[in-house]
Amino acid sequence: MTNSKIVADDNANVHSEGLLDNPERRKLFKRAAIGGGVVLASGLGAFGVGRASIEGKIDKSWPDLADDFKPFPQRDTMWSYAGSPHLMMRHPERNEQFGRLVKNDSRYNFQLQVPRYEHKGWDNSRPGFTQLDTALQHAGWCPPHKWDLRLGAMGIPDTQWFSWDQSGVDHEQYQFGTKLEASNAIRSAARLFGAVRCGIAKRDKRWDYDPIYNAGATVEMMEGAERMGVSKITDPQEMAKAMQGMMEHFKPEDRELSWEKDFPFEPKTVIVMAVPMDYDNMATAPSRTCAGTVGDGYTKMATLASQMAQFIQGLGYHAVASGNDLGNSVAYGIAAGLGEGARNAQLIVPGYGPRIRLCKVYTDFDFVEHDKARSWGITEFCKTCKKCADACPSKALDTREDTNYTFGGEHAEQPGYTWNNHEGIKKFHSDSKRCFDYWLESDTDCGACIASCTFNEPDYWHHWMIVAANPFVPSALHGAMSEMHPAFGYGSTENPAKVAKFWNTGEGMRVNPTNRNVFGAVGRS
Amino acid sequence: MELLEFFIMGILFTLGVQAFAYLSIKVKMPWYAWAGLITGGLTLLFGIGWAGSSFIENVPQSGSLGLTVFCLPGLLLMAFIIRKYLPKGTRL
Repeated sequence: MTNSKIVADDNANVHSEGLLDNPERRKLFKRAAIGGGVVLASGLGAFGVGRASIEGKIDKSWPDLADDFKPFPQRDTMWSYAGSPHLMMRHPERNEQFGRLVKNDSRYNFQLQVPRYEHKGWDNSRPGFTQLDTALQHAGWCPPHKWDLRLGAMGIPDTQWFSWDQSGVDHEQYQFGTKLEASNAIRSAARLFGAVRCGIAKRDKRWDYDPIYNAGATVEMMEGAERMGVSKITDPQEMAKAMQGMMEHFKPEDRELSWEKDFPFEPKTVIVMAVPMDYDNMATAPSRTCAGTVGDGYTKMATLASQMAQFIQGLGYHAVASGNDLGNSVAYGIAAGLGEGARNAQLIVPGYGPRIRLCKVYTDFDFVEHDKARSWGITEFCKTCKKCADACPSKALDTREDTNYTFGGEHAEQPGYTWNNHEGIKKFHSDSKRCFDYWLESDTDCGACIASCTFNEPDYWHHWMIVAANPFVPSALHGAMSEMHPAFGYGSTENPAKVAKFWNTGEGMRVNPTNRNVFGAVGRS
Repeated sequence: MELLEFFIMGILFTLGVQAFAYLSIKVKMPWYAWAGLITGGLTLLFGIGWAGSSFIENVPQSGSLGLTVFCLPGLLLMAFIIRKYLPKGTRL
């Protein structure tokens, strides 16, 4: 368009230089530029504040410990007790008390139910428990069952994937230029092997199980039980006889292990990594469908941690991979700045909520920048929310508003009832006996407290915005925020529609035109 | 899809800014009417972003509620201000 045409069109005067002299048009452009610029600058400012908020604030108040706090002996975890016939014989009162108080059956027994766990039949009339869902459950747990990872899942130390073997340690130690370079290298390797978050904590004896406990179960024993059809026995008396026979045949010996005498080196650093679980699959909880992502998560924990341990050993330093064994993963996750402790007794990671699984690598390599505990206002939010406690089918979660040093749920006043609680640290405590009992009863990995969590969200900007805004929101509004979550269609449990929805998530995945979910899942610690 | 959504929102934002600038030279309104109009426009845009992402992430309940609680109040606010403060007979 020529200048003469502009003159004709706009009926405006044109200077000899060719500039417009129309004050109305100039005003229009000026106002559009200024107005748009102001809004864009405000938006960019808000984005910057949001990004800073997502990083969290260093939390110097964590941990809040009672004077009598002690490290927790691993034999007192729910996993160790349920998986150990020896502990069953040493502490029959624990089974009896739980049965009498909670199940109205003083002959109740955790250990006799474990061989049948996740071996019950399907029900094609019940969404989430059909043959399709059960097949997915068994497929998800197939790698742990093929290897000895199922032992590691129950906290048994020094297994194939969580091995204490140090023969892979290179004789030459790689020297990093700076601590930051070392930390970045560790995080990059972790990201490559499947971690969505990686934090590096100082080894802290307070979070290590001490003593470490090995229930003595072996792969041979579990395979023997499989061959003998123990998992098909429904009568408790028959099961007791079968287990007695197994004990006599395989003669498993439980033992306690010391960090000083038995562990192969003195750890100085613990690398904590989170592997994700699928949103739509977990949304089906509690069901056999969501056991697919839980079993898959256990497998990825094992491969990631053992690959990272091998990586550190290749650099010339000692390293041991760890899943549920050796130490409290949630406490180490907090110490590594990955997230905050939540009402459901799990770690809530910004962007994922509790929909992650944690694994660790203990190493003597300490030329790294250690992370610190951070806060995103999540524990504060949990005080009001309580959606997980409402959704919990076994009512295992403490509903008291504030965090406490001791468990305060039903029967907490009964002598000896809280044997499984690590008391003396201010947090939300749970009754893992009730929790595991529901797993056994429903033949699932439950997951209702994960699916219902307000922080369990898909990876989209509006959820990140809420996480970023949370620290600035007055606690009086947390209740309203937690009510909005289900109102907007998130967080329901025992919902057949979610099962149907999950089974449609494969639609259109022959091609993935953006790879968004691949790139979007990776973030900084 | 989310990238496309943000691209479309960028176009809407640019058009909106131009429209407000055009309006500002055509009519005179008190400052609070402008503040309300801009707030309504931004709320509407926020609602479109929210609903779009919710539909893309396959949670239509969130998308439809987002349209109701963000877009509708934004639209109502803008409509109210235009009816109340825009001089009668204004030709845009």
